[in-house]
Amino acid sequence: MSFSVLVCDDSNMARKQVLRSLPEQLSANAQLAKNGQEAVELLRSQQFDILFLDLTMPVLDGLGVLQALKDENITPAIFVISADIQPEMQNKVLELGAKAFLRKPVQLEVLNTNLKNHGFI
Amino acid sequence: MSELNLNEDQQDCLQEIINVAMGQASDQLARYLDTFVYLKVPSIEQVSTLSLIETLSSNENSASVVSQGFFGYEGIRGEALLVYKPKDSDRLADLLGYEPDELSVEEQIIDLSSILTTTFLNVFAKQIDNQMSYSAPRLLAGSQSAVSDHLAQQSFNWDLALKVKITYQVTDYSFNCDMILFIPESAINNIKAVIDRILEEF
Repeated sequence: MSFSVLVCDDSNMARKQVLRSLPEQLSANAQLAKNGQEAVELLRSQQFDILFLDLTMPVLDGLGVLQALKDENITPAIFVISADIQPEMQNKVLELGAKAFLRKPVQLEVLNTNLKNHGFI
Repeated sequence: MSELNLNEDQQDCLQEIINVAMGQASDQLARYLDTFVYLKVPSIEQVSTLSLIETLSSNENSASVVSQGFFGYEGIRGEALLVYKPKDSDRLADLLGYEPDELSVEEQIIDLSSILTTTFLNVFAKQIDNQMSYSAPRLLAGSQSAVSDHLAQQSFNWDLALKVKITYQVTDYSFNCDMILFIPESAINNIKAVIDRILEEF
């Protein structure tokens, strides 16, 4: 079974970091978004199973994406990957429907454990 | 004057390393002040030290400046400055909630600055496989001459500075401070080499 993946981060390096931490079957056809607005537009037009989402971004930030997806009832499994590790922020994203909060720089083992926990590998 | 001249990938890599360091410094600030800190994308620019000092403060004694030296391996070293606007340094005492007889406002500003600087630079260093040690933080009078005198006392050539502007927005107050890293030319070249090494792995 294959899952469709969207990686949203304003940093090229961070996007690559996520891609190369993913197992081949998930990274092969992953799509990329450079900010929250791009991600929301892609999510409106195509169905994604998994969204990896940064928080601190220009144009539309990660909280804005979570709110928009909630309002529009678009429901990929969302893994937030952020440097903003304040406990209050972690609670906020979980309240807005994210499956998990992972701290940057993302670690391969942590990412894979989370994907396993949610049945994606 | 040589320049950083970062290409797009190098700039992106440095930005991401700084983002992670800023995130952890903000987390410390949030815990210290027992509040939530709203983060924005930090701005990073290379400036000449002279022009920076000229713009730092247009009138005498208008800001509080805390300076702290940092020293890592591979010739990575510099001086970190935290610059507070006067209204923000006054507000800081309220925010910190110290009792009047505990610590002076100056000591509180030094305390907070040192937490921000060392957290930021420790996380920065860790990501580039380095480790920092620090000199004692010093509060300088917030004037051009005090800052330039202080830099002149250092034994480096300070032609270039990396200016990392971090705005901390505390939920109930608007509290701003700029973090400025003065980095000697040789250290800038070393940082560039480390960034290239990281990028090669991608």
